[in-house]
Amino acid sequence: MRENLSQQTDEEIASLVQSGKVEFFGILVGRFEEKIKRYARKFLADHEDINDALQEIFLKAYENIKSFDRKRKFSTWLYRIAHNELVNALKKKKRILSLLNLDIFLPISLHDRTLERNIDLKEMNQIIDKCLDKLTPKYQEPIILFYFENLSYQEIADILEIPISTVGIRIKRAKEKIRKICQKLGYEYK
Amino acid sequence: MNTNNQEQKSIKERVLEKIKSGEVKMRPKIYFVLKTILIIGGVFLILGFIIFLISFIHFHLRASGLWYLPAFGFRGFCAYLRLLPWFLIFLSLVLILILEILAKRFSFVWRRPMLYSLLIIIFVVLIGGFIIGKTTFHPRLFFQAREGKLPLMAPIYREFGMPRFKDVHRGVVEKLTENGFLLRKADNELLTIILSFNTQFPFGKEIKEGDSVVVMGKRDDSTILAIGVRKINDQFRIFERHLFPPPMRWNR
Repeated sequence: MRENLSQQTDEEIASLVQSGKVEFFGILVGRFEEKIKRYARKFLADHEDINDALQEIFLKAYENIKSFDRKRKFSTWLYRIAHNELVNALKKKKRILSLLNLDIFLPISLHDRTLERNIDLKEMNQIIDKCLDKLTPKYQEPIILFYFENLSYQEIADILEIPISTVGIRIKRAKEKIRKICQKLGYEYK
Repeated sequence: MNTNNQEQKSIKERVLEKIKSGEVKMRPKIYFVLKTILIIGGVFLILGFIIFLISFIHFHLRASGLWYLPAFGFRGFCAYLRLLPWFLIFLSLVLILILEILAKRFSFVWRRPMLYSLLIIIFVVLIGGFIIGKTTFHPRLFFQAREGKLPLMAPIYREFGMPRFKDVHRGVVEKLTENGFLLRKADNELLTIILSFNTQFPFGKEIKEGDSVVVMGKRDDSTILAIGVRKINDQFRIFERHLFPPPMRWNR
């Protein structure tokens, strides 16, 4: 049974938990713990804060698992919960006011991004990490999800609940900001 | 690496422990179904209330005569801007924003730029409001509230339905006089209107008894030296005429 479970998809295991097999939730925690922790680390510096947030994210996921639609990706759903929890944790730490964002207000055209990821990925991964802290969460998050978590624009849009075109524009602007920050800090980034 | 594994284990264990002890419980499906129904209900309730507000503003503008003021030129337009029900307009805008925030919970809304959903909401409430504003819905409620049949609505209609402005007066021409006419307002007050060479008549000078009119002019006790007079033809007029049938010239 255990071996079988290791071959089952996240969605299938989530479905088992939904049907009352609570013990299988541990498998989902095991599968996503590191990913969510890596994601949380980009927002929170304190080790205890990260662990508290992580625990809260998984407990929220368990509490709300019956709202998970089996046709959707479990990872996107879990990242959405993580996003909400981390934003709340950040709000407690700093006072973040998210007023009207013009980039979700206006329609923006989307450009091809597959090529962009292939070219940039290696270079970005190394440099972004050094300059990421200086970005505001609005730009930090899409960059992390795209370059570090390797998620698609569609998945990022689903996690952040923003139009897909906005994801593109935020990543583009974030890169421009990172370029400036890196130059200021003395890193070379073309 | 070892420490890391220990840590991983402890978080997983902590989560499972809380689940097993019953400290955290899985919410039933019905909770999410009811939540969605509540949000949809809230969206429709707020949407309905905004449409009611917009139609009420429309009614207020017509019943008070403000709607017709821009026809009296620059002075009329300035008075129009000054006397607009800004509180109700502000309340409608706040409710539109709340509606947008609620609607954003649905993926078909947040997947598109906010501008689109806001424009659709504004379009729907304006069209809905103006359609209801064109019917006899508010005049009926207004007169029922005046007769004491709607105790809950009475304060709203008393406050906004028929406000007393210093320089805008709406009513029915009760009697023509040598230098003007007597105007009966919806609150039954009788005003003496004096016309002069300077009085503007943007839609014709022919005023008869029984006509619904808006008069612009400064009030001195119960006398008004008219700057402008405009004959009007809207749903509110039917009720005004019904309340104050002129002694003559009614059968036209």
